[in-house]
Amino acid sequence: MAQSTRIEPSILHKLAKHLPENGSDRWAAIRQKSMQQLNSTQFPHKKIEEWRFTDLRPIRRTEFSHINDAGTYKASDIEKYFIPESDRSRLVFINGRYNETYSSIGGLGKGVTVGNLSAFSDDEYVKKYLNNLVNYEDDVFTHYNGLMFEDGVYIHLEEGAKAEAPIQVLNLYTGSEKPFIANPRMLVVAEEDADVTIIEDHIGLADNTYMTIPVCEVKVKQRAHIHHVRIQRDSGNAFHVSRPIAYVEKNSEYHSYTITLGAKLSRNEPRVVQEDEEVDFTLDGLVLIDGEQVADTHSVMDHRFSHAESHQLHKVVVNGKAHSIFNGKIFVQRDAQKIDSFQENRNLLLSIDGLVNTKPQLEIFADDVLCSHGATVGQLDPEEVFYLQSRGMTEEKAKEVLTYAFALETIENVKVESVHKLLIDEVYRYTKANSKPKVTA
Amino acid sequence: MLEIKDLHVEVEGEGIEILKGVNLTINKGEIHAIMGPNGSGKSTLAKVVAGHPEYEVTKGDIIYNGESILELDPDERSHAGLFLAFQYPVEVPGVTNNTLLRESYNTIAASRGREELDPLEFDDYIREKLDLVEMNPDFLERSVNTGFSGGEKKRNEIFQMAVLEPALALLDETDSGLDIDALRIVADGINKLHHEDNSVVLITHYQRLLNYIVPDHVHVMIGGKVVKSGGKELALELEEKGYDWLESLATVNGEAK
Repeated sequence: MAQSTRIEPSILHKLAKHLPENGSDRWAAIRQKSMQQLNSTQFPHKKIEEWRFTDLRPIRRTEFSHINDAGTYKASDIEKYFIPESDRSRLVFINGRYNETYSSIGGLGKGVTVGNLSAFSDDEYVKKYLNNLVNYEDDVFTHYNGLMFEDGVYIHLEEGAKAEAPIQVLNLYTGSEKPFIANPRMLVVAEEDADVTIIEDHIGLADNTYMTIPVCEVKVKQRAHIHHVRIQRDSGNAFHVSRPIAYVEKNSEYHSYTITLGAKLSRNEPRVVQEDEEVDFTLDGLVLIDGEQVADTHSVMDHRFSHAESHQLHKVVVNGKAHSIFNGKIFVQRDAQKIDSFQENRNLLLSIDGLVNTKPQLEIFADDVLCSHGATVGQLDPEEVFYLQSRGMTEEKAKEVLTYAFALETIENVKVESVHKLLIDEVYRYTKANSKPKVTA
Repeated sequence: MLEIKDLHVEVEGEGIEILKGVNLTINKGEIHAIMGPNGSGKSTLAKVVAGHPEYEVTKGDIIYNGESILELDPDERSHAGLFLAFQYPVEVPGVTNNTLLRESYNTIAASRGREELDPLEFDDYIREKLDLVEMNPDFLERSVNTGFSGGEKKRNEIFQMAVLEPALALLDETDSGLDIDALRIVADGINKLHHEDNSVVLITHYQRLLNYIVPDHVHVMIGGKVVKSGGKELALELEEKGYDWLESLATVNGEAK
């Protein structure tokens, strides 16, 4: 049993001795619980089924320092990351800490509360939900975040409140002398009939080594809608371990789109838990990687009640020696009938040395459900390349166009215009740089 | 314009000979029909002329405007004025017809010394061409062939031909899968596009397309060779008698000649 196993102290366990200084008693109960959990949880390794394909040694071997000792640099020239739609609905965090100067709040209309979690520690919903929605068993990363986070995003929408603008959550990571760990935190509560769009962006400003562990809790109450875009553009030497979980109530909708471009190693574990009938949710993903990047998505869509519609399109383009891992769990509990669930993982391999592990995993205990799932791994179709060439495009251009088209599908539902455009530019940049297969020595 | 000389072709790496010495000459302004049973090599011939990388020419040559094109890539052949309407047009999700055609048109225009068109000019140009195949303008904003019916895909090929104005168009079973109305539209489009300076090669199983488009020459391919050539009346003869009576021309004592 886990209790009797001796916990081998990892870098996270060691760093846990340095508790955050500012406001350390504000989250005392959460810290205490997280500390206990962390101290009884083993750092994962490849012998654990859930971590079979993902080598965490690069994290294990990094000598992380506490953020105060890491010698972090100043963040500059960051206005270029602001989206115009969120001119007055922007929260900026630098290395996990709230930055009031760059943030701008106030343009969201009636019934919408947005701000730094630290300022809302006495809020009734924060007390009720924070750290109570998160549900990642045996996960040192979640527990570490619970122990160490200081600031975070708090978004609350009253019954019927519609946010008048998308909320941009900008997580910036600066250069530093030593590797550090950031612990972004997020709590979103949309009451009945509320509606909000959230653009969560993670950007590495330099090419240093750091780790970020964003933990996000979302509660979507009856008939509420949330559109959640998550962009990961971390430094090429960074580690990104994210845990976003959403609970969807009756007649609600939660649509999430995750775009993975950066980090040396990322592990994304989105989860959606159905809490009542008649829900509609999306967990789409686009992963564009090359070089020696590793991008791992382990998702859970948990259908617990009847009449749910769920959608997961996970598209991956791999070049160089990059490695993509996908494990998509779909649970349909015994009394959850009339479920319509779609899952597809499509992988495009541009190089010989790229690697893809994919595992759709359906566990269905109900009998009246429609679950389609599929996984494909392939190269560009030579017939498609020939077709475009015969219309005058060079082979290189044809490949670029096809890669671009492959990737574009997953972002066309991103409804904030500047973000859609930004993502198109990111896709274009990737395909332009990767239209020739790269041979890495 | 196009001269195919003793063309022998294998599937790359498989060593199976599909074309076994094809000879064919197509002059400017002519319409040719190539007919023949399934597996006779008609589609292979079209793809080889367009430069499909799956095939390897082991012997013979393809001369276009006086020069061998065997070493040219498919895009270079298209720049030189060749066009292949595919038997099975490929779906390209995410790329609109408009984008593909503007890209193609301008690339080809640049290489043939014609003026490139900006998006507005191109829009005017392309709309004229839509009428030719009776297509709705919203067609332009749809992804290339994605979710198109069989008939729409074939019409789209002819539409592309109209936009790109090739000097030599090879139409690979453009008539198959079309209902009678669509067949008429496609055939009318081809007739309007054909003039004294370009040539058209129709590859077809059936005589019915030739009721609408009258060829100058008809060729029959069997077993990887052209076994008989004639005028338009040959098509009618084939319709009546089938291909069996020609089989003997391709074989001697049951062996390939």
